[in-house]
Amino acid sequence: MSRVKKETSKTSAFDSEFFGEEISSNSSSKEFRRLLGYLSRYRALFWGGVVLILMATAAALFEPRLFGYAIDEAVIPKDRDRLRQIALLFLGVELVRVVATIAQSLIFTLLGQRVMQDLRQEVLSHLQRLPISSFDRHPAGKLVTRVTNDIGSLAEMFSAGFVTILSNILTVVGIIVWLFWLDAGIAALSLAVFPILIAASVYFSGKLRIAYREARARLSAFNANLAENIMGMRVVQLFGREKRQLEKLSSINESYAQAQIGSVRVFAFFQPSITWATGISMAALIAYGGRKAMLPLPEGGVAPGVLVAFFAYVMTLFQPIREIADKWNLFLSGMASAERIFSILDWPVEMSDFSALKGNSGAIRGEIRFENVWFAYEGENWVLRDFSLEIRSGMRVGVVGHTGAGKSTLISLLLRFYEPQRGRILIDGKDLREWDRRELRSRMGMIQQDVFLFSGTIRENVSLFRPGVSLDEKGLAELPSRDQIYERGVNLSMGERQQIAFQRARALDPDIWILDEATSNVDSRTEAKISGELKQAGAGKTQFLVAHRLSTVRDCDWIVVLHHGELIEEGSHEDLVRAGGTYSRLVALQQLSVT
Amino acid sequence: MSSPWAYWKQTTLIRSVIWKYRYSVLGGLGTLILVDVLEVLPPVLLKLAIDVVTGDRPVSHLDWIAGAYLLIAIIQGVCRYGWRILLIRSSLFAGRDLRDRFTGHLFKMSPRFFDQKRLGDLMSLSTNDTEAIRMALGPGLLVAADALFYFITVPIAMLMLSPQLTLLAFLPLPIIPWLVARNERLLHERFEKVQESFGKLSALAQETLTGIRVLKAFAAEPAQLDRFKVEGERYLGLNMALARVQNTFGPTLDFTMSLGLVILLWVGGREVIGGGETLGTFVAFQRYIQKMVWPMAAVGMAISYLQRAVVSAGRIEAVLEEAPEIQPQAEKNGSHTPLGEIEFRNLSFRYSADSDWVLRDFSLKIKAQSRVAFVGPIGSGKSTLLALVPRLYSPPRGSVFLDGRDILDWDIEELRSSIGHVGQELFLFSETVEQNLGWGVEAPLGVDQRNHLIEEVALGGDIQRLTDGWSTRLGERGVNLSGGQKQRLTIGRALARQPRILLLDDALSAVDTQTEARLLRSLRSRSPRATELISGHRISTVQDADWIVVMDQGRIVQQGQHGDLLTHKGSLYWMFNEQQKIEEELSLHVQGQERDQQNLRV
Repeated sequence: MSRVKKETSKTSAFDSEFFGEEISSNSSSKEFRRLLGYLSRYRALFWGGVVLILMATAAALFEPRLFGYAIDEAVIPKDRDRLRQIALLFLGVELVRVVATIAQSLIFTLLGQRVMQDLRQEVLSHLQRLPISSFDRHPAGKLVTRVTNDIGSLAEMFSAGFVTILSNILTVVGIIVWLFWLDAGIAALSLAVFPILIAASVYFSGKLRIAYREARARLSAFNANLAENIMGMRVVQLFGREKRQLEKLSSINESYAQAQIGSVRVFAFFQPSITWATGISMAALIAYGGRKAMLPLPEGGVAPGVLVAFFAYVMTLFQPIREIADKWNLFLSGMASAERIFSILDWPVEMSDFSALKGNSGAIRGEIRFENVWFAYEGENWVLRDFSLEIRSGMRVGVVGHTGAGKSTLISLLLRFYEPQRGRILIDGKDLREWDRRELRSRMGMIQQDVFLFSGTIRENVSLFRPGVSLDEKGLAELPSRDQIYERGVNLSMGERQQIAFQRARALDPDIWILDEATSNVDSRTEAKISGELKQAGAGKTQFLVAHRLSTVRDCDWIVVLHHGELIEEGSHEDLVRAGGTYSRLVALQQLSVT
Repeated sequence: MSSPWAYWKQTTLIRSVIWKYRYSVLGGLGTLILVDVLEVLPPVLLKLAIDVVTGDRPVSHLDWIAGAYLLIAIIQGVCRYGWRILLIRSSLFAGRDLRDRFTGHLFKMSPRFFDQKRLGDLMSLSTNDTEAIRMALGPGLLVAADALFYFITVPIAMLMLSPQLTLLAFLPLPIIPWLVARNERLLHERFEKVQESFGKLSALAQETLTGIRVLKAFAAEPAQLDRFKVEGERYLGLNMALARVQNTFGPTLDFTMSLGLVILLWVGGREVIGGGETLGTFVAFQRYIQKMVWPMAAVGMAISYLQRAVVSAGRIEAVLEEAPEIQPQAEKNGSHTPLGEIEFRNLSFRYSADSDWVLRDFSLKIKAQSRVAFVGPIGSGKSTLLALVPRLYSPPRGSVFLDGRDILDWDIEELRSSIGHVGQELFLFSETVEQNLGWGVEAPLGVDQRNHLIEEVALGGDIQRLTDGWSTRLGERGVNLSGGQKQRLTIGRALARQPRILLLDDALSAVDTQTEARLLRSLRSRSPRATELISGHRISTVQDADWIVVMDQGRIVQQGQHGDLLTHKGSLYWMFNEQQKIEEELSLHVQGQERDQQNLRV
């Protein structure tokens, strides 16, 4: 028998206690088929592994029998040569078993890891293609769990669950067949408790699953409560409520521990039932089999070696059943994960509405036209109302307005993160929906107020990890020499971040520059520097600037004043000043300013 | 890891959490010994049975042997139930205690600590890492003890049957400690690497999803996917490297034991042929040698449990060893309620030694029960100033005073219990509206008190409109209030504590001006009245203050009363006022248009 595995499962139920997950629906057969699809890419590997499992199991089954042969054909007849042969054969079989066991387990681990890698790539690639609105609805943290933990538990199902279940089923079947072949009478008697044992396994596995589910539910309650407290820790401390919050958390913690104990209790009942069943079988074997072994062979007796083989087989028969029951949970948890992963893969992705029109590569002119655009993130809360604007190629347009006026929404629409409910947006005279999204986006260079930084070097943050992006070495040289940017760029100043953002956009050599409050967080020196660089890099290109600071848009060709999603004034700086409207008053204000 | 002493030290935390349950653990171990001692008997019974079969003793002996076998099984079954309950339950309690201890520590830490830590890491420490320690104390301790007892009981039984065969069968044994040691080292190294790579992979996925807008805007998704692929391949490789150690260890141990079986077959078989041993002993030895496989493997398992636990304990201890920024005051100042006079004296503050100064040489004296308003552009230091008063961050000594006593000398509980601070992040807990309102006070709010409070913060109508009124659940899984409603509710929550000092950090930004005026008026008529420090971006918020402080880059650039400040044409405050006027007009303009549209539709 695979002897190590046999005994190690004493504790494996505790492992699955935490990684297991209940399965939420009975659609697992559909998921399973879908999973097999991934597996089929590694067909050769898979069947190779199965063959090795068969070899290992056969060898393991054969070994106790060899001992029996040794007794009947060498020890009792006192044949020393035969004894040596059998001992050497035993060594050979054992070698086969060990090598096959190792190879088989490595193959299935590799298989699990491969499928996991494929799935990870597929899920992340799929997530990347989801519309932005999906990310508004689903917090990144939960999605990350899908990409990592859920896929991890799938891999475990392949590498541990599958192998164990398969090899144990083979072992059980092999033993039963062999026992009946050796002696049907003894086999029938000693296996009488077998059905009871299976029933007990099924019963306890079911109970265990419920108990584990309960424990997990309480663990997630604990997690939710702890997360809330950590996030609201300032409030907790300001209100001096540490003690009461802790008490509550502690009571959830306690109920979690109690639920865990509940599952231990079920398990603790399960274990003895197997010990007892084995005891009954062995006692029957000793009393009945022993008598049969004392009879002479022609009168239906068996050789003592056969009896010895029976001892070995029966004692190892029940362990595989236990393991199957154990790993069944692993299997179920894998299936639950598969279900969650596949449900993500079924979310509709962002698609080009006219994907046939793909491939319009090369530079664009950069004409932008908003035609009576209405947009709301939800319901009738209009963020943009009947917004129209025409921007000619190479024009510099500034949009001003205070927070919440809808300025940034204009940019989101331009990048096609969202679709307007009414009206349309045209670029180079063609409806935005007719463009290939990624093609179009790669022609636009955006600089945001909050510069999102990835952990990596500054150079990587500028190139966004794309190989072969031509970088402006002179511009890069001016950036701080810090090699590594920490999570979210905590070790960079606002000005430095904006510089990175600028270089990032510049690396695209865009036909349309988009600046979303790009300089509102930086000091005036950095602002002057960036706008100077922009003038150089963006000369002759369409520029779309959004700002609440007037100085930022002052020298634009065209200025738009936005208020609560409505365009209230537009014109050149001079026009607007002359017109004496809101803009001119704001400008006058600024000129008066002494600070 | 190398010296036993180092190991002893690394396991301090692990040992300390189980100490409380030592008796129950000892009880469990005792039962375990009993099981293991009984475990020695079945092979002896088999030996007897075989000897009956091949010898000339009466057949009825078989029934006795069978009966004894059954009896042992029954006793073992009962004991197995016993040790499982005793041992595993203790470990679960110990795990629970450790989680309590760890989370308790978190509650003592200041915002600075949480600024530096990721939520995910803290969560993982308090569940995954405590669980790793729990596993070492439960299943880990169990397999270790089990292995140890087997190592004692089985060889003794074997020696009693046949010293010569025992020595022969154990011939391959000395290789095992070497195998175990090698395995321990490799497993540890590779496990760490796998974990580290997994962390990177998660971080990468997290980054990809939080930075999705940038990636999409720059059409840089494929490059990110490639990075993910590269790290994924690395992770795969590391996992395989780990598997090569993990998956070969067991079978190799098995094989070592099988060598013992081969020796038994060959040499032991010859002994039986030569008449030196009985066939029964031969059979019993086969069983014993197979039984020795489990403890061999168990050694490996116990080591890996311990290994993980030591790694986890190291991580947990690193956090536990971080001393809270605010230590409890040795002696309380007596139940002294502050009057509420606040003074900032040449206060300079920055968040860390390598960051920019947020407040520079800031001096201001605030009379008790007066209202001081702070205005200034984003980043001028207003929020930081207000966060220093309740010591969310600790100011340098001698720079912030309450009632003339350094804020650092106040007992933190006393200090905070007299302060109501409403920040910009409006955190409500997933409880009902009513519970959230009374969140800061011990006893539940009375109906009168409750109604009075919502009257003060002008929230009455809003609550009636909620589906479940007062018992509407808020928070992640509950109803989402609007920004203005949240602000008023959090102010109400602060007022419920009858604070002597009220700090409103831009806490009225989403409340409309009329409601704001009502709310600010009601604050003035509170008794006792609080010293109010209010920061805001709207003239309406600050104009009625007794004193207005205009800040820029951490300094005071102007101060005085509304009227005085406005006389300085072109000053920051004056501009601020003018801008607001224009905005108000614009709002009226838009509202007018909306009305027109509605009229048209009608």
